Amino acid sequence: MTAADPETRVPDPIDLDRAEEERLAAAFGAAPGTQPVPGSEYAGFDTVSIPDRPPQTEREAEMYSLEEGEMLLNMGPQHPSTHGVMRLVLKIRGEVVEDLDPVLGYLHRGIEKLCENATYTTVLTYVDPMDYLSTMHNEHAPAMAFEKLYGIAAPRRAEYIRALVVELNRVFSHGLMMGFLALDMGGITPLLYAFINRDETVDLLAAISGQRMLFNFFRVGGVNWDVNDEFINRLSRWRSNVGKSIGDAEALITQNEIFIQRTKGLGVLTPERAIGLGVSGPNLRASGVPFDVRRAHPYSIYDDLEFEVITQTGGDVYSRYLQRVAEIKQSLSLIDQIVEKMPHGPVQAQVPGIIRPRPGRAFATVESPRGFYSVYAISDGGPTPYRFRMRDPSYITLQAMPVLMPGHLIADTMAIMASLDPIMGGVDK
Amino acid sequence: MDVGEILLGVGRFVLATTLLLLLTVPTAFIVIQMEMKIIAQMQLRFGPNRIGPWGIFQSTIHGFKVLAKEDTTPDQADRPTFTMAPWMVFMAAAMSMLVIPWAPGLVAVESSISVVYFFAVLGLSVVGLLVAGWASYNKYSLLGGLRSAAQMVSYEIPLTLSVVGLVVLTGSLSFTEMIEWQRVNGWGIVWQFWAFPIFFIAAIAEINRTPFDMVEADSEIVAGFATEYSGMRFGFFFFAEYVALFIMSAIVVTLFFGGWLIPFVELPDGILGTVLGLLAFFIKTYFFVFVAVWMRTTLPRVRVDQLMGMAWKWLLPLALVNLFVTAAIVLIFNLQPVGGA
Amino acid sequence: MADLRRSRPAARRLGRRRPLTAPVAAGALVRALTDRFPELAESLWTDDDTVEVVIPGGRNVEVLQAVRDDPALRFWWLADAAAVDYGPDPDDPRFEVVYHLYSDQHPAWLRIRARVDRSDPRIPTITELWEGAMFHEREMYDMMGIVFEGNRDLRRIFMSPDYRSFPQRKDFVLPDDAADTAAAGVVPLERPETWDLSRFRVDLTHSTAATYAPTEERTGTEQEIEGGETLADKSRPR
Repeated sequence: MTAADPETRVPDPIDLDRAEEERLAAAFGAAPGTQPVPGSEYAGFDTVSIPDRPPQTEREAEMYSLEEGEMLLNMGPQHPSTHGVMRLVLKIRGEVVEDLDPVLGYLHRGIEKLCENATYTTVLTYVDPMDYLSTMHNEHAPAMAFEKLYGIAAPRRAEYIRALVVELNRVFSHGLMMGFLALDMGGITPLLYAFINRDETVDLLAAISGQRMLFNFFRVGGVNWDVNDEFINRLSRWRSNVGKSIGDAEALITQNEIFIQRTKGLGVLTPERAIGLGVSGPNLRASGVPFDVRRAHPYSIYDDLEFEVITQTGGDVYSRYLQRVAEIKQSLSLIDQIVEKMPHGPVQAQVPGIIRPRPGRAFATVESPRGFYSVYAISDGGPTPYRFRMRDPSYITLQAMPVLMPGHLIADTMAIMASLDPIMGGVDK
Repeated sequence: MDVGEILLGVGRFVLATTLLLLLTVPTAFIVIQMEMKIIAQMQLRFGPNRIGPWGIFQSTIHGFKVLAKEDTTPDQADRPTFTMAPWMVFMAAAMSMLVIPWAPGLVAVESSISVVYFFAVLGLSVVGLLVAGWASYNKYSLLGGLRSAAQMVSYEIPLTLSVVGLVVLTGSLSFTEMIEWQRVNGWGIVWQFWAFPIFFIAAIAEINRTPFDMVEADSEIVAGFATEYSGMRFGFFFFAEYVALFIMSAIVVTLFFGGWLIPFVELPDGILGTVLGLLAFFIKTYFFVFVAVWMRTTLPRVRVDQLMGMAWKWLLPLALVNLFVTAAIVLIFNLQPVGGA
Repeated sequence: MADLRRSRPAARRLGRRRPLTAPVAAGALVRALTDRFPELAESLWTDDDTVEVVIPGGRNVEVLQAVRDDPALRFWWLADAAAVDYGPDPDDPRFEVVYHLYSDQHPAWLRIRARVDRSDPRIPTITELWEGAMFHEREMYDMMGIVFEGNRDLRRIFMSPDYRSFPQRKDFVLPDDAADTAAAGVVPLERPETWDLSRFRVDLTHSTAATYAPTEERTGTEQEIEGGETLADKSRPR
């Protein structure tokens, strides 16, 4: 048996695949999605059509029927610039986008259903990888909801530590948004500077929570660890460095003529439309609506802190960028106030390992870097929640894409998407 | 012309073209290495530092890796044109290297119309890009190919118009004669400081570098026209791009910065003069390559319609104005070109 | 999956009623609501933080529009629209679609629970009132199977379009044939009737890999190969 012997030569994998496909098709019929639907008028090519079945709804029919000169382009789940795995089907005429359909679900992990079988403390670890760039906020809302269900309040020091880590999270999340916005427009350097900032912040948060990304820091009734010496040392160093790294990224972007030309007046979202669409957070405030959960329905210790709700006028991509830069500065001032005012005391209330809250319902909201993040939890008296529902802001904000895109060029798709700052982990849960 | 002379001529031609082709590959390697390291240092990171001392052999290894990759062709692509497209782009770049004046007496082809030849041949690369975009049977490639056609056609005109001013001043269409004129009268940048930015911007746009690289915008259309290419064919495209970058910097230096001339120093005759001139030429050329890499690190991309707008509404009128002003100065001051009218 | 689920009689015990002596924070809201909808006063529930009312599903558009437009209420922000499944309870099979709303004028959240019949889950859509409810309703349809009448784009959002089950229902059992396409995670090759094992004949005669005799008890220490049996006998799949 030698390599040259034709019968025993190792066959080419692609021939094996083809043979397998033909055998399966002969035995069981063609796989759905690989044959053209007879009588359909979908986009040009023979076997690959978007989508592979007739439209089921009115909006789908409107989106997927093509006129003369239009083309469907898949900005597919594998793409250098969609913020995670998301598929955008663009209907383009030349370079102009006429319509857009986001197809979601590539990162769906069934977290809500999983949490129905997890104890309340375990739920706090399940929600970490949802919006993975704002992990602390993901944990804050469920922790608040479970505390309402259980009927306890976290100690003052725990609330201050929570606010501190949450604002730190906001700083690096907004910094990364700046970097990704520039990257999606071709400027490769601000992202590296934003990642320097993120690296330092993540080291800081690792000093307090033990993890670099999925922190698992919050508990029902407080936080897991107290502030330690390493954290305090790193915090003062971080505080003196953060201005430089964010400032470096900002210097390359904010006054850059090319960047301004590409983002000013692009993707303007009016306040009424934004409210109707459910857009929240920096996107909503950049359109001029002063809705910030920290001031609208204050939670934790935000009543004790001094800050104003920042808004911008304009509602275009540039305003959303400026809004986030301003919020970074606001968060830095909040961090200074929190560090100054932090009281002494315990950091976790005495709760049993598996809590069994009384039957009831609770709704808790936090202001995450993406926007309005809320949790609706129902307890049935058992060790696990009866229903655990998360309302993720990126998911709802994505509805603004088909509204903002038509009429712009493909290059603007990425700019608008980066300015809305969705994170697919949260979108798909 | 006897057989011996013909054979000698053929032999010289083969040698010259082989040398020329061989010259493009190390040039591309050096430019790629520069780009990787310089961008890295500007982004506060190290860049390649494992292969060779300070990582200087990284791009050579990249070249070998690209040779070793599988060459895939899409099932429904138009195979002959798909294969031919990288050659077209590479040939355009390589052929335009024939007229670059490297050092006194060191030009591959001495011609009296080298300017015309150069811009004509360099513009042929757009054919290769269009063909690549069409033959790939991929909507992203098609978009990239169309964008490249629009971009290069738009920027040809300001590119050549900005040179015409210099042609009028020097009275010749040959690169070597232009350098000779600059030796006597001072560098082109002094006489044509207005044409230099126009030419530089148009040159960056011609070779699809950031901020004008929406042809291969990797955050929008994956890799544009080169999406379906892999292995050595992809390598051809990117060698061609980096060689074109080198060539454009060389021409910028030739036209506006004195080519091989060293300021305030007269080059001695013979081998020493040739070597010093070559050295000066390379230093100046690589400085402009560095500037182009610097621009890539710092600037975001210009959008397609803004790009066209800039070419037609700004660069073209400015180049025309420059031409008229130059012609007026030549007439008014009755300047004489070096080689006679 | 069925044996992992406990019996859940808890659906009956949810929600502790409190008397309507609400603290000042929610007082104005309770008063405004009972003025506008007197018939809802008996289902109204509150603590300091939230005021909750229960309405039949068919009235959701009317009630939501009223709370949005009434000058005393002005609940302009739809915070959340969620679906809850109270289980295939034989007496009272229901879903609930729960809306949470926010107003500048009232410090409490307003929670409106709209009851939907589980055997025929239909409820009018609120996308006319808030455009952003579209994704909420698509998710509720996808996960629970609640049909929103009047919704222009009621198709699945997370699961693949040909999925035939509703994952977040309490009686959901993961079926192998919930969908035909690979997009649902079910690949035709995972169906045993399509497997062709003859392709995977592996000849281990010349293999030098050690194999262990299968024993009942595992002591955790290395086991010796029993004499007489060849390696090929041990490694061929039974």
